[in-house]
Amino acid sequence: MKIKVTVNGQLYERDVLEHKTLLRFLREDLGLTGTKEGCGMGECGACTVFFNGKVMNSCMILAVEADGATIDTIEGESRGPSLTDIQKAMEKNNSVQCGFCTPGMVMSIKELLQNKAKPSIPEIKEAIEGNFCRCTGYVQIIEAVLDVTGRSKEKGELKHV
Amino acid sequence: MFDTVKTSDLSHVGKNGHREDTIEKLTGEAMYVSDMLLPGMLHAQLKKSPHARAKIVKIDYSKAAALPGVRAIVTGDELDYRLGLYVVDKRILARGEVRHFGEAVVAVAADTAEQARAAVDAIEVEYEVLPPVLHHMDALKDDAPLVHPELGSYDYMAAAFTPKPGTNIANHTKLRKGDVDKAFAESEWIIEREYSCPSVQHVPMETHVAIVQWGKGDKVNIWSSAQSPFTVRNLFCHAFGLSHSQVRVQVPYVGGGFGGKAGIGIEPLCAVLSRKAGGRPVKFQASREEEFSLLPCRSALTYRIKTGVSATGKIVAQHMTMYWDSGAYADYAVNVTRASGFSASGPYEIPNAWLDAYTIYTNKPYGTAYRGFGHVEFHWAVERHMELVAQAIGMDPFVFRLKNALRPGSLTMTGEEITEHTGNVIKCLEEAAKAICYGNLTDEEKARQKKTGWKIGKGVAALQKAPAMPPFTATSVVLKMNEDGSVLVNLALTDYGQGTYTSVRQIVAERLGFPLEKIKVAFESDTDRDPYDWQTVASKGLLLSGNAAILAAEDLIKNAYAVAGEILHCNVCDLGHDGDKIFIKHHPKKSVSFASMAVGHALPNGNGVGGPLIGVGRYIAQGLSNLNKEDGQGNPAIDWTYGAHGIIVEVCEETGEFHVLKIASVYDVGRAIHPEIVRGQAIGGMLQGLGTAICEGYIYDQQGRLLNPSFTDNKIPTAKDLPLEIECFVVETPQVDGPYGARGVGEHSMISVAPALGNAIQKATGAEIMHMPMRFEDVWRALRHKDPIDNWITKSPIGSCRSAPEARPNG
Amino acid sequence: MVYEFRYLAPKSKAKLCAMLLEHAQDGKLLAGGTDLLPNIRNGVFRLKYVIDLKQLPGAASLKYSQQDGLILGPAVTINDVLRNRTARRLYPVLCDCAHELASHQIRNRATVAGNVANASPCSDMAPALLCLGATAVIRSATGQRTIPFTQFFAGVKKTVMLPGEFLEHIIIPPAASPAAGRYLKLKRIAGHDLGIVGVLGTLQDGKRRFAVSSAAPTPVLVENVAAGDDESTVVKKVLAAVSPISDVRSSKEYREHMIGVFVQRLLQEVQ
Repeated sequence: MKIKVTVNGQLYERDVLEHKTLLRFLREDLGLTGTKEGCGMGECGACTVFFNGKVMNSCMILAVEADGATIDTIEGESRGPSLTDIQKAMEKNNSVQCGFCTPGMVMSIKELLQNKAKPSIPEIKEAIEGNFCRCTGYVQIIEAVLDVTGRSKEKGELKHV
Repeated sequence: MFDTVKTSDLSHVGKNGHREDTIEKLTGEAMYVSDMLLPGMLHAQLKKSPHARAKIVKIDYSKAAALPGVRAIVTGDELDYRLGLYVVDKRILARGEVRHFGEAVVAVAADTAEQARAAVDAIEVEYEVLPPVLHHMDALKDDAPLVHPELGSYDYMAAAFTPKPGTNIANHTKLRKGDVDKAFAESEWIIEREYSCPSVQHVPMETHVAIVQWGKGDKVNIWSSAQSPFTVRNLFCHAFGLSHSQVRVQVPYVGGGFGGKAGIGIEPLCAVLSRKAGGRPVKFQASREEEFSLLPCRSALTYRIKTGVSATGKIVAQHMTMYWDSGAYADYAVNVTRASGFSASGPYEIPNAWLDAYTIYTNKPYGTAYRGFGHVEFHWAVERHMELVAQAIGMDPFVFRLKNALRPGSLTMTGEEITEHTGNVIKCLEEAAKAICYGNLTDEEKARQKKTGWKIGKGVAALQKAPAMPPFTATSVVLKMNEDGSVLVNLALTDYGQGTYTSVRQIVAERLGFPLEKIKVAFESDTDRDPYDWQTVASKGLLLSGNAAILAAEDLIKNAYAVAGEILHCNVCDLGHDGDKIFIKHHPKKSVSFASMAVGHALPNGNGVGGPLIGVGRYIAQGLSNLNKEDGQGNPAIDWTYGAHGIIVEVCEETGEFHVLKIASVYDVGRAIHPEIVRGQAIGGMLQGLGTAICEGYIYDQQGRLLNPSFTDNKIPTAKDLPLEIECFVVETPQVDGPYGARGVGEHSMISVAPALGNAIQKATGAEIMHMPMRFEDVWRALRHKDPIDNWITKSPIGSCRSAPEARPNG
Repeated sequence: MVYEFRYLAPKSKAKLCAMLLEHAQDGKLLAGGTDLLPNIRNGVFRLKYVIDLKQLPGAASLKYSQQDGLILGPAVTINDVLRNRTARRLYPVLCDCAHELASHQIRNRATVAGNVANASPCSDMAPALLCLGATAVIRSATGQRTIPFTQFFAGVKKTVMLPGEFLEHIIIPPAASPAAGRYLKLKRIAGHDLGIVGVLGTLQDGKRRFAVSSAAPTPVLVENVAAGDDESTVVKKVLAAVSPISDVRSSKEYREHMIGVFVQRLLQEVQ
């Protein structure tokens, strides 16, 4: 089936297999492999992308459903030479370990900050609840959000005793 | 090395520098194997066993072979190879008999994943279902079916392991120290209890994935999401009888491992498909469900501990029996048993010890290394036991721990003497206790308790772990200077998120005296281009590779000085250097830049001197020995990292619901090379430990089918599951032979979280929980049976001594 | 998705009904897909056709009128409800249940209609619809029928909808004053999870209702609570209406206990 979809501001016209998920379409057909598959069941959030302005699990959307839609992925985040503020804060706060959950995590944080300039810690946790991270224990990710919203004082640190 | 230099005198070590791998991970540019496509690549799918144990009567793949796009179908019958790290007991595909639910039986490679799936669905396998042996205690019974009747014919590492052919015991590790019988006879108290925990899945976010191309002339190229490229190559070559020069393993970015990607995994499967498909590359990526049941998990454990205590509260004797459920294969699990055996008492001195640790085959998905290498599981037992023993003898559990903790002069169970430099578990315990105001409730906590009606309790637990590795484990680092005087670091230790490369970079910069920006650690590992490293496991990476990096930096400088001496016409001993150049110390203006020497120096007349500057560092574990197989004595530990957790929990007695209000974790890391990375390991491991403690674990039905092989029913902690407050501390007792005094801490943060929580829950409510995970229902159940359910105090100065619980079979 | 199927996206209700009838055996309806697509992926559903209803006119319409109440089209997502001021103001109970459903990403995609049309015993939206007296407007090629949600569920994953029918609207009636209430959902972790049990307790115009999920083949409404009933009587009445089972998430015994505890908590909290 032929679809027209805008991904990261660029229009793509593609013939796509009807059973193909948006996730596989992005990765296999468009080569946008920044979006990851962690479970294929909508549980882990590694495949999180923006679909018409809202974050969703792209493993549970068919590519054909994206006909006429606007999709934003991690590849659209830092099209210039430098990172976005969220990415910079995550870099600074050691928020990344293996990196596999990171692109989805960035997407969820982006939507959160679009809706709320200074989210509380419970609100941050709720926004990333659907993004599993097995490495970091989330704290340094939450701290990056605090940092980017001007609350670096609330961050913890390693204490030497 | 350099353990006595103060952190304040160092330029890079001890500072929170930039992590080199972060940008590409944040932008999605980092390439994982799951992202890779090769020209002509085929996709593999598997037909898996629906049974725990069955004879394969017939496989009919004629319909599948006729389907479009199908390029290769492989069954176990055509694969006469065995795989394994320590016991060579595993086949690439089941042959003759399936031994666990989810085991691969037939593999298909096709042009597309859809075609491969359709082919798998068209394959018919006829089974004769056999009675499985599911519980590891049942597997020890005389009439238990044998999971591996041919155990006696398998190869194994005889220096370290003892399989028992004719039984389900894949290994029996023994440890004997002192005179246990005499010490028990002299004990004032004897307390015996049993603890257990189920199998658990590692859950790397990137499931196992590999691409293999078996080229003409048996040249094999492997790309794998693996922890240990050289071990993949070594085991692969052994299995297929290939020369190491014929096989190349490349490991790009890896989406988490936690031990599950150590050893060898799905690479041979892709390889045989590629070979049969005429050399086309074949990719297989495990689904999340396959990650749970096709690929390995953490072994379940039943641990029985009998402790004799003196009137003053000193442990005088301990009898320990570990029953490890390795599942259907024990190739790696036997070493979990061995390593757990020599560490089985936790960080406490046991003057008279008797230990038997068994690795037991069952018809379940198989066990392997998992962060902590057995220590998460047995510390659950040991640290709950310390609590219960203290309670039985009427001593505060914290005081009881301090009284028995290892200290300089103590002997470990294998006879190793603890020194001032080994690390300070007592300080870890004290700091953890202090951070949670152990022993009483603050006014705020009392008010909260009154308001909510939920009981608040506090618990501590200590931990220890040494790297579990062959005593001669070695690694190497190569530094290559680039044309501009910057330095490329090559090593085959992999960094799948731990941050070791960042620490190695800091160490290299520190030792070279270069700015950090001039050092790059090459991110992808490649057995054809990188120097050897055994495996990325055991929290040994920083110590071994860090030391090799120091030696490589010194070698590079030495080589550069030799060239500079020639250029500057001076004695090498008169040279000094900074980040840009080498100069004569007493004539500092006479200098030569590193850049001009990096790839060979041209003298004014055009003559060349030197050549490309390279530094090589090799490091091998020192002073370790095989353990005596009869008494377990010897020196297995290159370093011990100690730690402790303190937990504050609130519990609803009516329902068993609880919230972790605070966790404080303390580790003696020797030196924190990169404090934020240490903290990242501390918190990440802590939450993984909390997952083990509260919700994770395999659940089977009576036929041995895994009931929860996905995130639907095997939850892992989310951001909402974090304790309300988290504090991380480090003690820095330098490791004399550690790089800048550092020792590893990657696994330790996961250990003893569960018993700290169990102890806190018991303190709050009296619930005696002996099995983890502690789900709300488990707490509720424990609260409804507060009385001890067995006669577990077998000797006491104050009362009758009833019989011990029924003895377990001991193989 | 490695199982192949065709995708149909009818633009009219008549066409949709015709397709549903034609593909009653080999097709299923797609709304948010958060249940359907995992089931296809896992091989639970082997389908030839997936029929998307989101291109129907008004599929995502969320309307309120004082006369009719809140009317939800079949593509209204959980977060559409949570973002809707009127829903938040007049149907806080609906929003409380919505908020407990899965993760934020899923709530952006999963639909209210899908959550009940799947008839999962652990539906989080069903308790709200049951307590609020909502009705299902079911459309077929031959017309429309309206049934209350108390008669909508027929068993585990079964509704009373016939082949060729779909859930066209959910109507939640207007109320003089919003129902007070709270949804207590017991989960294995604090993060997103299916419920071990979920109990919604509401109080509206002096009338107490309880709805329970994950405790019977279908979500259950308990309305026979009298104003004078003491706690234990209410607990008994609720427990009499459910029939929990033991499974990997919990034992029957613990489910029963927790339902009782939740009912007691709700009696105290919802005033």
